[in-house]
Amino acid sequence: MIRNVTIPSLQQTEMLLQQRRTRLFLLVPFFGTGYILSVVFHLLSWKSGTPPSTWVRLFYYDGLMLITYGALWLLLWGETHQRGPSPTRTFWSLTVASLLFLGLGYLVLRIGRPSGDLALSTPVSGFAYETGVPLTWAAVVQMNVLALLEALLAFWLLLQLRGLVLFKRTRQSERSWRWMLITMAGSALLVDLFQPGEFVLALLLSLPVGLMLRNAFRVAWILYLTFRQKLLNLGLTVLATGALSGTLAFTSGPAHEYVWHYSPALSSFVNLSLAFGVLYLVTSFLSLLFHLPTTGAFQRKVDELAALHALMQLVSQVFDVERLTETIVRLPVEAGVAQAAWLALPDFQTTFRPRIVAAHNLPADQTPEALVDVEALYQEVAARRQFLLLEQALTDHRVRARPEHGIGSLLVVPLIARNELLGVLFVTREVAYGFEQDDVEAITVFATQAALALDNARLLSERLEKERLARELAIARGVQRRLLPQQLPRLPGLQIVASSVPAQEVGGDYYDLLQLDDHRLAFIVADVAGKGTSAAFYMAELQGIFRALSPLNPDPVVFLTQANQALFETLERKAFISAVYGVFDVAKGTVTLARAGHPPPILLRPHAPPRLLRLQGLGLGLDRGELFRRTLEPCTISLQAGDRLLLYTDGLIESRNDRGESFGYDRLLQTLEAHARDTAASLHRHLLETLAQFTGHPAYDDDLTLVIFQWQEVPMLQEARDRQDVQAQTTGASASTAQPSQPSQQAP
Amino acid sequence: MSNFSVGFRQHDGVQILDLHGELDAHTAPELEAALQKCLQHGHYNILINGRDLEYISSAGLGVFMAYIEEIREKGGDLKIAELKPGVYNVFDLLGFPLLFDILPSEAEALERFARGERPTLPSS
Repeated sequence: MIRNVTIPSLQQTEMLLQQRRTRLFLLVPFFGTGYILSVVFHLLSWKSGTPPSTWVRLFYYDGLMLITYGALWLLLWGETHQRGPSPTRTFWSLTVASLLFLGLGYLVLRIGRPSGDLALSTPVSGFAYETGVPLTWAAVVQMNVLALLEALLAFWLLLQLRGLVLFKRTRQSERSWRWMLITMAGSALLVDLFQPGEFVLALLLSLPVGLMLRNAFRVAWILYLTFRQKLLNLGLTVLATGALSGTLAFTSGPAHEYVWHYSPALSSFVNLSLAFGVLYLVTSFLSLLFHLPTTGAFQRKVDELAALHALMQLVSQVFDVERLTETIVRLPVEAGVAQAAWLALPDFQTTFRPRIVAAHNLPADQTPEALVDVEALYQEVAARRQFLLLEQALTDHRVRARPEHGIGSLLVVPLIARNELLGVLFVTREVAYGFEQDDVEAITVFATQAALALDNARLLSERLEKERLARELAIARGVQRRLLPQQLPRLPGLQIVASSVPAQEVGGDYYDLLQLDDHRLAFIVADVAGKGTSAAFYMAELQGIFRALSPLNPDPVVFLTQANQALFETLERKAFISAVYGVFDVAKGTVTLARAGHPPPILLRPHAPPRLLRLQGLGLGLDRGELFRRTLEPCTISLQAGDRLLLYTDGLIESRNDRGESFGYDRLLQTLEAHARDTAASLHRHLLETLAQFTGHPAYDDDLTLVIFQWQEVPMLQEARDRQDVQAQTTGASASTAQPSQPSQQAP
Repeated sequence: MSNFSVGFRQHDGVQILDLHGELDAHTAPELEAALQKCLQHGHYNILINGRDLEYISSAGLGVFMAYIEEIREKGGDLKIAELKPGVYNVFDLLGFPLLFDILPSEAEALERFARGERPTLPSS
């Protein structure tokens, strides 16, 4: 049976070793067997009294050592790997571990000697001088135990310091740490193999020592300690340095012989590790000492920035513009980077000047305007689109504050979002040169955040405003629709076709018809300047005026003059209404009308070119009354059979095609001539069709109202009137109701 | 995109506004802002030059009505010159020539400013 045996990659091995159970299961047998074999090896060489051959020593014993202590390293590595670094804990545990080791080491060295033996001046060497073979069983035990203890201490030390050295983990720092370990181990092995002379030894050690120096200066953790923690660690490094130095003296002094005979490589590695420990502790001590005085300033800065940063989150959670502006001026002061702050936003509605919308912590009884020339500074920052820093604010000509107001330095920062200047933030400090480089940076970043938040809040409120407007417009459209006549009156001899198409927005077109008595009909076609809700209101007002006044004063001059007076009082200054008003008298066969600023009505007679009735007249609401009345020019027309009167609003004339040309009077008159013989209904249809062809799209920019009256044959008048009385009873119920938005036609 | 703009000029104490493009309900606020600015700076003799004004709607006309009273109270006037025939027609239909000095050329308008003349009401 063939099985695929795959050798696990480095990462796979590492992942395997991350699991504690696998780790113990794999490594403990290796280490245990290796360690027992090494003890057996030394016992054998003690019994035989002869050293093993060089080959056995190199390939069997050293290989065994490598595997045994490699397994031990991995075991310890696994146990210490996941802990977060803490300098206090590390230094403390190093001190304790060193002292523990020293105590144990001392006890081990006493094995096999009578208690008074140490006092004797003839120490018995435990090893043969030439061969290094242990001479007593005690020496065998001592060398094995000491080697294990030393290895444990050195590995523990390296793994503990690892957390501190790699406090700021980068590829670079990880690499140099790993290379330090590799070169330490490598040089220790080379020392073992070649037993070099002093010169070569120094050369060999220069590489690990260089890397040790490099790693010893990785003390970034110091920055994050408070003053008290620094003091504590200062004491601990002194303790740990003392304990480690003692250990180093012990391992290279009384214990050196034992471990060296056990394994020169291990002994070298342990001494290198301890030396690194001492080196690291010394640099830590010195760094802590030098960092002590700056701790306060550094801590203050960190606190300020942290506060500003934390508060920035708040800014993005406020959506109400007013509250947001207050928050924006409050935060820099609360975070301690400014003494006072205020915010100026441009005012697009009334003054077109920057306006102070919020201020915080101003000197007593002072307004920003009293302290500085807000507009001048605003304009400068708006032009620069960069912050402006006045280090000595009081010397600047735009600063009006006096020394007692406590404005030593002034920082003016633009709030820019989506490349648009939304406002300018002013922050002050009490002293001149009060803003440091990183204060300026922090406030600039803050301003960017604030601008984004302001922009968001604005977009939101714009959207709400839009929705509110849309609702309002919907109401206005409803009002407008109901204001138009729902049903056209019927008079003998007069045919009426009327339509009004509102634009997408609410427009200001209005037409109405009112039967005054059995032979008179008042009509009005009007256009309110502007669109939207106000236009709908003015239409409603005009309807009231028309329905109330025209039965009392049907005469066009009287009616329009009174309407003008009423409207002049109520319309806002920029609003006005153009209108054509008139009265049909079917008994006399006449129409009397007047034009108040409206596009002229058109009279279309069967065998004559269309005629624009350009009567003089001002729009309603433009003049108080005197000029209006004097200029109004009424006109009475005796109607002939087939006469048609066209009333319309400017939507007809000004509708434009894609090339921007408007329909205009020329095209209107041409169309009318082409359909000169048509009835009112077909004329109405043809006109709208021609217009739609011209513009090329069905929707109009403006409202479009078109009312056409047609006068029937006079002789039929009396007959029709007689017949109407009868018909009204029979067909009255089926009379069609006119939809204002669609052409409707009613004939007697 | 707004296709309306206002240019500012000065001549013999008269603030001249050159209107370009189309003046309707959407662009009227720009003219309002321009007139507001004139009043803020104390310019009450204002001449509107309509040489490049392509179109005007009733909302545009409303802007003139909104400011004329204040301007005349302050002893100034607002005159209009060099309108295109189509635009003039809109002014004319509403009877604006009765309320404003609307003149064919800028020179004539400036002359009337120099002589301090205002529109005279037609005698009935």
